[in-house]
Amino acid sequence: MPLVIQIQPGNSPLTAQTATVRLSGSLDTSTAPELETQLTALLAGPIKELVFDLAQLTFLSSAGLRVFASARKQLRERGGLASFTNLQPQIQEVFDIIASLPGIAIFKDINELDRYLAARQKAHRHQI
Amino acid sequence: MRMELQATAQEVMRAVEALQEFGRAEQVPDRIMHGLALALEECGCNIVTHALGKDARKKFRVGVERQTGRILIELRDCGPEFDLTGFSRPSAPAADDDAPGGWGIQIVRRYTDAIRYRREGDENVLLLIKHLDEPSTAEIKF
Repeated sequence: MPLVIQIQPGNSPLTAQTATVRLSGSLDTSTAPELETQLTALLAGPIKELVFDLAQLTFLSSAGLRVFASARKQLRERGGLASFTNLQPQIQEVFDIIASLPGIAIFKDINELDRYLAARQKAHRHQI
Repeated sequence: MRMELQATAQEVMRAVEALQEFGRAEQVPDRIMHGLALALEECGCNIVTHALGKDARKKFRVGVERQTGRILIELRDCGPEFDLTGFSRPSAPAADDDAPGGWGIQIVRRYTDAIRYRREGDENVLLLIKHLDEPSTAEIKF
């Protein structure tokens, strides 16, 4: 099964450093390299927060987890965050097995993620 | 079901798709087949990457068989001797890794009930066993 990758950069000054990555299909040993390539290009920019929307992701293996971990590591080095939302049960289960992605936030849906990001942005504005 | 595959990621996924088709034909519950597909993907990826060095000229074989109350998946490769079952469970969460037997073996253990390894001539033979009459959360035995 192929992997469809849709990347939507933030479209306002407040979200300029945020991008949403929507994944559909199978993130496995044959498709993970393409995601890695696209994320490498994306992270060459000033992105600090990546939101992975996994609502349509049906298969996730350790090859995909390694791509997530690599993105997480790069974001953490620049004080950023990788977030995951809308995980289907079988995808959540793989995250649970590994249980080793500290620095990654998992949200049950977009609303919960939005509330979290709004709070982060509010805190960031207070720091400026 | 028997397949001979080239040592590429695409061929691993061809085997996974064939396994899923096998499961549909055998009317095995989707949840079990998803786990077995993951286990096969992880083991196949390990063979392609670490046993056969991603050399597409090299081949490995996958066999799938349904017996009474269980499904067997056998993988054979001619790589250096490597016993995946020898990796112990980590006491702490794994770090970013690309080593054989890292995250992949944890996934394989989660979705199978037993894993057997033997060296047969110049072949690694890995057998994954999944019981169909037990809940998928059954304790894994070695």
